[in-house]
Amino acid sequence: MRTGKGVRGLAVALAGVLALTACGGGEEAGQDGPASLRMTIWSANEAHLKLFNEIADEYKKNNPDVASITFDPLPFENYTTTLTTQIAGGNAPDLAWVFENSAPDFVASGALLPLDDKLKKVDGYAYDDISPATTKLWQNDGKLFAYPFSTSPFGVFVNTDLLKKAGQKTPAELIAAGQWNWDNALAAAAATQSATGKAGLVIRDFDYKGWDNLSTFWTGWGAQAWSADGKSCGFAAPEMVEAMTTLHKAIFTAKALPGPGTTADFFAGDAAMTVTQISRASLLKDGGFGWDLVPLPAGPKGNYSVVGQAGIGVMKKSKNADAAADFLAFLTNPTNSAKLAQFFPPPRQSLLTAETLAKTNPKLKPEQLQKVVIDGITNGVVKPSHAGQAELSQQVRASLDPLWKADADVKAVLEGVCTKIQPLLAK
Amino acid sequence: MNRDVSRRTKLVLYGVLMVLAVPFVFPTWWMVTSSLKPVADIFAFPPKLLPVDPELDAYRRVFELQPFGQQYLNSLYIALVVTVGTLAVSALAGYAFARIRFRGQNVFFLVILAGLLIPSEVTIVPLFQMFFKLGLVDTHWPLILVPILGAPSVLATFIMRQFFISLPGELEEAARVDGLGRIATFWKIALPLSRPALGAVAIFTFLHSWNLYLEPIVFISSPDKFTLPQALTQFVDAYGGPMWNVQLAAASMTALPVLVVFVIAQKQFVEGLAHTGLKG
Amino acid sequence: MSQTDTRVGRVESRPALGRARPYWTTHRRDQLTGYLFIAPQLLGSAVFVILPLILVVWYSLHEWNVLAGTFDFVGGENYAALAEDTNLGSVLRATGLFSVGLVVFNLTLALLLAVLLNQRLRGTILFRTLFFSPVVVSLVAWTIVWGFLLQDNGGLNGLLDTIGVDGPNWLRGETTAMISVVVVQVFKNVGLNMVLFLAALQGVPGELYEAAEVDGASRLRQFWRITVPMISPTILLTSIITVVGSLQVFAQIAVLTQGGPGTSTTVLVYYLYQQAFQFHHFGYGATLSIVLFGIVLALTVLQWQMRKRWVHHES
Repeated sequence: MRTGKGVRGLAVALAGVLALTACGGGEEAGQDGPASLRMTIWSANEAHLKLFNEIADEYKKNNPDVASITFDPLPFENYTTTLTTQIAGGNAPDLAWVFENSAPDFVASGALLPLDDKLKKVDGYAYDDISPATTKLWQNDGKLFAYPFSTSPFGVFVNTDLLKKAGQKTPAELIAAGQWNWDNALAAAAATQSATGKAGLVIRDFDYKGWDNLSTFWTGWGAQAWSADGKSCGFAAPEMVEAMTTLHKAIFTAKALPGPGTTADFFAGDAAMTVTQISRASLLKDGGFGWDLVPLPAGPKGNYSVVGQAGIGVMKKSKNADAAADFLAFLTNPTNSAKLAQFFPPPRQSLLTAETLAKTNPKLKPEQLQKVVIDGITNGVVKPSHAGQAELSQQVRASLDPLWKADADVKAVLEGVCTKIQPLLAK
Repeated sequence: MNRDVSRRTKLVLYGVLMVLAVPFVFPTWWMVTSSLKPVADIFAFPPKLLPVDPELDAYRRVFELQPFGQQYLNSLYIALVVTVGTLAVSALAGYAFARIRFRGQNVFFLVILAGLLIPSEVTIVPLFQMFFKLGLVDTHWPLILVPILGAPSVLATFIMRQFFISLPGELEEAARVDGLGRIATFWKIALPLSRPALGAVAIFTFLHSWNLYLEPIVFISSPDKFTLPQALTQFVDAYGGPMWNVQLAAASMTALPVLVVFVIAQKQFVEGLAHTGLKG
Repeated sequence: MSQTDTRVGRVESRPALGRARPYWTTHRRDQLTGYLFIAPQLLGSAVFVILPLILVVWYSLHEWNVLAGTFDFVGGENYAALAEDTNLGSVLRATGLFSVGLVVFNLTLALLLAVLLNQRLRGTILFRTLFFSPVVVSLVAWTIVWGFLLQDNGGLNGLLDTIGVDGPNWLRGETTAMISVVVVQVFKNVGLNMVLFLAALQGVPGELYEAAEVDGASRLRQFWRITVPMISPTILLTSIITVVGSLQVFAQIAVLTQGGPGTSTTVLVYYLYQQAFQFHHFGYGATLSIVLFGIVLALTVLQWQMRKRWVHHES
């Protein structure tokens, strides 16, 4: 076949274009003039956005060199993937919310700007007010890389109307009698399910995929997904096997929890209890069913609490990193922290009092706030997190899938999980 | 086999056809009826085939939650532009490969054919980087340029080439004798004759652009620039749980107009496809 | 002398002796027109197809840590990692199962429907419309609706319940999940193949069947001995298109099963999406892309070679 001049010319042109584009991320000229800041978030809630924009407007008034601050909601389900893809494509934001489960990846990567010096320098910031328990996850080598703006404990929302209908004692009664533990909770859930046909207990956002939400359950047995240093698998440990066996029975034998593929929304009145973070209280409709919020039931190892966290970080490579860090300092100063507290429990100890929180959480009573929120934040175990989170999480999820069948061999499946993830944990 | 069949066989055939038609029709039926039900009814057990108390609430919310009208227009105009552009590019290229002799044409054709074999997931990251460097991310340009000039239009070129090959050569000989140049021959003789093939290409191309899912998700981040498939997956509540009736209402609005146009023009649709020359 | 092949050649003018030939002969002008005509498609392919492919190969030779912002050359390490990837075996198996299942089911159903619609029945146009309708429905819409119907307490099990059958949890069992994605994909696109087969069937000369009737051949025998060979070019072409298409199915799996349960529906294209976009192993994802491209290329060449054996050519 004659190749001819045409093809050779094509090759030369290709080589030229290739040389231009193959050189990694392009350097764009620095911006002069007023800066534009973009913060990626995962909440599209109107009330949240309104508050953020109010705070941003105030900041812009006092800082004319910042022309605009945009809050960019990315879809919740794929938030971390979308954010990382933006960064990969060279389209990184200036600030980003970070889930607790991907904290190790972001914090250790060098992609985030260290914040402590900046924050400490701001007048009236009161850096020492920040509770050390909340910043552990977001620190590396003694420096803070993301500000834990929300530490949200898990509690149990209870549909007291449904429980009463099924003739069950309410959790408040059980707590008073010192009998609020998982055995009783699951029994009540199962009884309500068979009496009313509605789901008993729903661990929200689990849906047989989001396994890290099960930490709200297994922590009661002293189990953990992996050791504190992240190197050894905790799934095959006896405590975990015991916890998962109990859970398996509750799902498939007692039918206390809805099975795989069945959806039930507590806030629509379709379940008796749900384990979720207190921020979901905003989903409760006034004049709907009677409800209560209680701490997590005690496990065999006693009382415990579990928290989820969200941090805000500044991308080091951002052209406006300094301005971004400055805005972050403003957003999280004592005054604004108090404003944010109505949606996002802050890490500031001075704000973690029942009275303060009650002002901005009108739906919750002081006892609920104290027991669930304040005690939860101080003593809570954070949801599992690890470096290489995306792949590890997917691997765990895929390996746990065989567990969600009636005839599953719990011990064997859990051992399978460890086999699969041990190489990943070692990295 | 165009022969008469007995009465009994006819009945059997109708029966088989009706049973087979169920999985084709049922999902569309379910989609529309469920969009008119409140969420609780959608999962009701036993399921109700018809909505008990039809409500248009979900449809209203579709427009409240997303700039749906704008997104509809986006999908529509992008698909139209891509269709027209592809018709132009593929008709020209297909004709040239079929009718004109020039050096290296076989090599060039093979190079172009490679586009048929490469899945878009493979090339999406480099394409994203390219468009980002050009500052064209979060615009519709990637959704227009790539289909017209890149892999998706290769099938169109292939179809047009097949068609032009099958055209009798005498018509063009006659034109040449009459003194028409190559371009005039293409424009006045070959192109008008290729209407069935153009129709098939138009259908394929429009549907492909209408259904693009991965590309809009990668390139577009502002809701008012979304296309319909992308918008459909956005109807989730603040914490990621799907709002079923709203999603199905949006899906219905996406599917029904195209379906109606299809029903009206289905004769042309189907016969255009049959004339693609893909018969071999 | 002009040649009578399908490409209408241009006659070169013969100049009188002694006079220099102009550069722009009709032949050269024609060639230029040819280049111009193919220029958009060719340049477009170069920029949007070939160049990204080369870049993908380039990525596959590097370890690209997005967050740390490093892009280090690692040579063949990503390719060596293919051998050590414990998931790859099940991914390839899932891909094979999915593609084979899809192609067999799709082509068989398309042919069956085409044969049924080729009978002289009233109302075939209506049925043709019904069978073709999913093709024009938006892909994501179709998948969302099915996702919903296949839930344990969803429409399909509800329907089965009314006839007394207890439907399984379709998307949560390994085998049923695979069957589900295959079926959803087939019903979406089989209308296209059906129409192509229908056109091919209508192109088979009726006399062949009449002659066979006279010879006493049964309908089934006629089908195998006459129909199939006569439409074999169409069968080959649709099978190539369907096989290549099956290796590119992404949206259904992303929406319905996310590769689960376990990894039973993680086909190669979904796996590479996970590696590149979810786990951010862009280098390894690029390597998997090259593997996918290689498989597609090999299968297409294989099928094209088979045409000499299987396709019945008329003169």
